[in-house]
Amino acid sequence: MAIINYANKEVQFKIVFYGPALCGKTTNLAYIHSQITETNKGELVSLATAADRTLFFDFLPLNAIVIRNFKTKFQLYTVPGQVIYNATRQLVLRSVDAVVFVADSQWDKMEENIESFRNLDENLARQGLSLDTIPYVIQLNKRDMPNVAPIHYLDFILNDRAVCVPSFEASATTGQGVFDTLNTVSRMLLVKFARDAEAAAYVKSQPTPAASPMDGVAAGLRQPQAAR
Amino acid sequence: MQSTPIVTIAAAEKFLKTLEEFLNHSEAFFALIIDRGGTILSQSGRPPDGTDITILAALAAGSFAATRELATRVGESEFNALYQQGSHFHILMNAVDDDTMLVTIFSTQTTVGLVRFYSARTSEQIAIQMQELRADCVDAPLVFTEADLNTASQIFRDTTDKAV
Repeated sequence: MAIINYANKEVQFKIVFYGPALCGKTTNLAYIHSQITETNKGELVSLATAADRTLFFDFLPLNAIVIRNFKTKFQLYTVPGQVIYNATRQLVLRSVDAVVFVADSQWDKMEENIESFRNLDENLARQGLSLDTIPYVIQLNKRDMPNVAPIHYLDFILNDRAVCVPSFEASATTGQGVFDTLNTVSRMLLVKFARDAEAAAYVKSQPTPAASPMDGVAAGLRQPQAAR
Repeated sequence: MQSTPIVTIAAAEKFLKTLEEFLNHSEAFFALIIDRGGTILSQSGRPPDGTDITILAALAAGSFAATRELATRVGESEFNALYQQGSHFHILMNAVDDDTMLVTIFSTQTTVGLVRFYSARTSEQIAIQMQELRADCVDAPLVFTEADLNTASQIFRDTTDKAV
């Protein structure tokens, strides 16, 4: 969850890019890293195999806007997409605040997209989180490739839930849709953070109900009867 | 799982004092308190030149999490400390509680035994401070409201202006 540091006047958030193997999660981070100004980014760290497949995670720290004198910082992570690395995906999802699900638009990747989305749902549930409550967006990547499924079909198989989330056509290699995705999920996250804080402040501001003299009587009535 | 706390100014001062005392006693030169997700809660001392602390924290959390998985595979709930030995610098990571860990960097000027001894004691102190913090942070003021976001500009900008 987000961490507020009043000493440094910072709020830090964690966004995880999730999706099947070779869908372009690392390419998203590489493009973001290449376009953000030096002062607002840290180093892009990739824990990858010799063949450039993500082994553990990629990590990119970013500084974003200042709101009411608080700096907002976002830590972007990717997970390894290969099915065998599920334990690693669970580790990377720890303390996640928002998710970008990167889908591969190519027809022959549909099954992997669905399986990865289902896996995301399961791994969030293991942490007591849910796609119904956590901010997330869907990026339909690789739109520049031949043999891609239509947008409405991808939305039908990945975004057919009670609440449809924003989805973006993208080509991470050229940068198309990458910042739209990032800006939207970041704003959704900030809005949720603000709403949650306002709701908590409202609850705190409400007076605690005074104890009624009848409470003791009611409690007594709730006691189980002794066995005769 | 306990929630990760808000770091109040008072808590930050306590963490800093605890870390400074730890560095003095152990003769280590840098210590970090981080959450298990890799976010920095407090730090003291001077890291090795050119070290990006944010990345250090993320990697330490990942490394410790992986070690925890290893522990469960051999029937342990967790290895509560992890030591990485280098030729000049060494790193010791200690579990503080379910959500927090202590990362210490030290050189050949001190010994792993000394650092390990004081880090265990310091971890216990930090665990108590974290408990106090979790109890206190409910009174922390609002950082910003949804209305403040309406006036905020674009969060990230693509320098090639591809973004709409």
